[in-house]
Amino acid sequence: MRKYRSHWYQGDREGYQRRSNYYEGPHTSHSSPADRTREEVVTPTLPEHAATRSQMATTLDFKTYVDQACRAAEEFVNIYYETMDKRRRALTRLYLDKATLIWNGNAVSGLDALNNFFDTLPSSEFQVNMLDCQPVHEQATQSQTTVLVVTSGTVKFDGNKQHFFNQNFLLTAQSTPNNTVWKIASDCFRFQDWSSS
Amino acid sequence: MSLPSGHTMGHTDQVVQRRARSWDIYQRRFSSRSEPVNPGMHSSPHQQQDGDAAMHGAHMDSPVRYTPYAISPYNRKGSFRKQDQTHVNMEREQKPPERRMEGNMPDGTLGSWFKITVPFGIKYNEKWLLNLIQNECSVPFVPVEFHYENMHASFFVENASIAYALKNVSGKIWDEDNEKISIFVNPAGIRHFVHRELKSEKVEQIKLAMNQQCDVSQEALDLQRLPFYPDMVNRDTKMASNPRKCMAASLDVHEENIPTVMSAGEMDKWKGIEPGEKCADRSPVCTTFSDTSSNRNSILELFPKLLCLDGQQSPRATLCGTEAHKRLPTCKGSFFGSEMLKNLVLQFLQQYYLIYDSGDRQGLLSAYHDEACFSLSIPFNPEDSAPSSLCKFFKDSRNIKIIKDPYLRGELLKHTKLDIVDSLSALPKTQHDLSSFLVDMWYQTEWMLCFSVNGVFKEVEGQSQGSVLAFTRTFIATPGSSSSLCIVNDKLFVRDTSHQGTQSALFTLVPTAFSSSMPAFSQEQQKMLPS
Repeated sequence: MRKYRSHWYQGDREGYQRRSNYYEGPHTSHSSPADRTREEVVTPTLPEHAATRSQMATTLDFKTYVDQACRAAEEFVNIYYETMDKRRRALTRLYLDKATLIWNGNAVSGLDALNNFFDTLPSSEFQVNMLDCQPVHEQATQSQTTVLVVTSGTVKFDGNKQHFFNQNFLLTAQSTPNNTVWKIASDCFRFQDWSSS
Repeated sequence: MSLPSGHTMGHTDQVVQRRARSWDIYQRRFSSRSEPVNPGMHSSPHQQQDGDAAMHGAHMDSPVRYTPYAISPYNRKGSFRKQDQTHVNMEREQKPPERRMEGNMPDGTLGSWFKITVPFGIKYNEKWLLNLIQNECSVPFVPVEFHYENMHASFFVENASIAYALKNVSGKIWDEDNEKISIFVNPAGIRHFVHRELKSEKVEQIKLAMNQQCDVSQEALDLQRLPFYPDMVNRDTKMASNPRKCMAASLDVHEENIPTVMSAGEMDKWKGIEPGEKCADRSPVCTTFSDTSSNRNSILELFPKLLCLDGQQSPRATLCGTEAHKRLPTCKGSFFGSEMLKNLVLQFLQQYYLIYDSGDRQGLLSAYHDEACFSLSIPFNPEDSAPSSLCKFFKDSRNIKIIKDPYLRGELLKHTKLDIVDSLSALPKTQHDLSSFLVDMWYQTEWMLCFSVNGVFKEVEGQSQGSVLAFTRTFIATPGSSSSLCIVNDKLFVRDTSHQGTQSALFTLVPTAFSSSMPAFSQEQQKMLPS
């Protein structure tokens, strides 16, 4: 385990890249690109040590969480906006069943409503210029690993003018021994100029 | 956001004036239908006088009977026209009695009659308008069945050359506000016109159609596409044959079924809610009329549910056709999950920014969890743009799209309350405009509250003193002691306001997330409050 951890922590980027691009279920020993599910945000699972609560490990743990958050955020943002733009119907696969979306003040809750909502939204062209993320403190999440992802950029919806936007996501982790799959628990989207829209 | 500066107490006066004018219009719409100028035509006894000037039975003892609201085969555009429904907001109270009337007109020839429409003609007195048109028109004309429908004024003429002459008058006449008056001309068809009682299932169909099809709130009044027959064009329900009943039924459904037509702030404004009044759930958010042309404003004053004109100015205007079913939902103001949480959050924000703006941010230590996180970003890339007041934030800006080095990424994320407050203290001194705050509460559990605040602030010292910046700040908080909040995550995004047009729209007391529940404090008052 320790070997695995240091191996990962030292930035085994190559290994990470390989793993993060496809989904490895516990029952499969091999995966090919054909098995790839594009609408899933997947990162390597953190070693068990990261979950310890000992005070000494806190600093290290925090850095680990920070790195994990960044990986999840980067992976997520790539997949999310591409799916939104090019494979809109698959977008809700990135959401938890009970996920909520506040879109310019409009509340949408649950997968059915989300499906409906994304279906009626015109086709989009997103350009993300800013991305930031933070690991959410476990006290708020009751140890359910969660990442706050914040993006900003421009979007053009078909038939409408271009808007600057800000978006926030809460991603929660569903970990298996081999992988962590991230899903959106909540999503908040706003045009920067919403009031004159 | 805030109203343009200078828009202060005059607001209430204007509201009163608007209401007075609106009352005139209201009366005009409900006054008896005016007699046609042509003495050869007169109303049938069936014509009801309860005053829906917009609708009339069109029963006249004239040799040629016509039905302005009938549908000719050319005019079935397929989709359910809802443009005019959105604008009918006052007829609701006057439901016409239900009765049966037999249609008994022979088919006339197509093309002999023309419908002349003056958009927004409801503003004008009939005689005044007709005189004005006649003065400019090269040929004398006899307006038949002058009436107001929704916002427009219409009448009929019998002759193509007259219609053509009238069309030429368009844009050559002005009203008392010096606004151009347009004239639209369309051929009027003739059809059987049968009144029919609308059954409840028809009402359901209307409801269904309204919900399923174009989002009414997005409807733009496209003047270029004024329909021949402005009412229901839906062959399924055959409502076209009885526009008055259709209108009444659609009015019934209108209020309940149509979600907010305008942003919360605008709608509340039209409801005459004064600053300080509470609104359920949706906190009124101040909006600015970015289009300052008086023409647009005067129209909006009269017809609150009109979103935009011509489809040209609206960023969301799309044609209501069978394929154009994709709409951007209306943008709304603050979203709060519940009244209780709303108060909690607003109270928190008030206290937080009181300290934040006070000049000493050390007081914020008690607001943060020991192991909280904070980071800051700007959308600013110094290589591409001219220096701006965002420059000073650049060195702290954490944008992992640009920054790939894990060490730097780690450095820019502040951890522990001490580090956080130290870095907050190093940021420029600010004055936040609480009245500009828009809050989205987007996630809550019993252990966590997640909300984002959008607003503006002013820099009160340094090189960029006086410059206004906009921000979006996301807080994740856990329940703290004595019903306070304890911040565990804090993410600040700062940007300039140039593309938002809010530079001058600041620091005025207007209905926003804050005004509805608690007063915004002046700087002096804030200093007097216990921290």
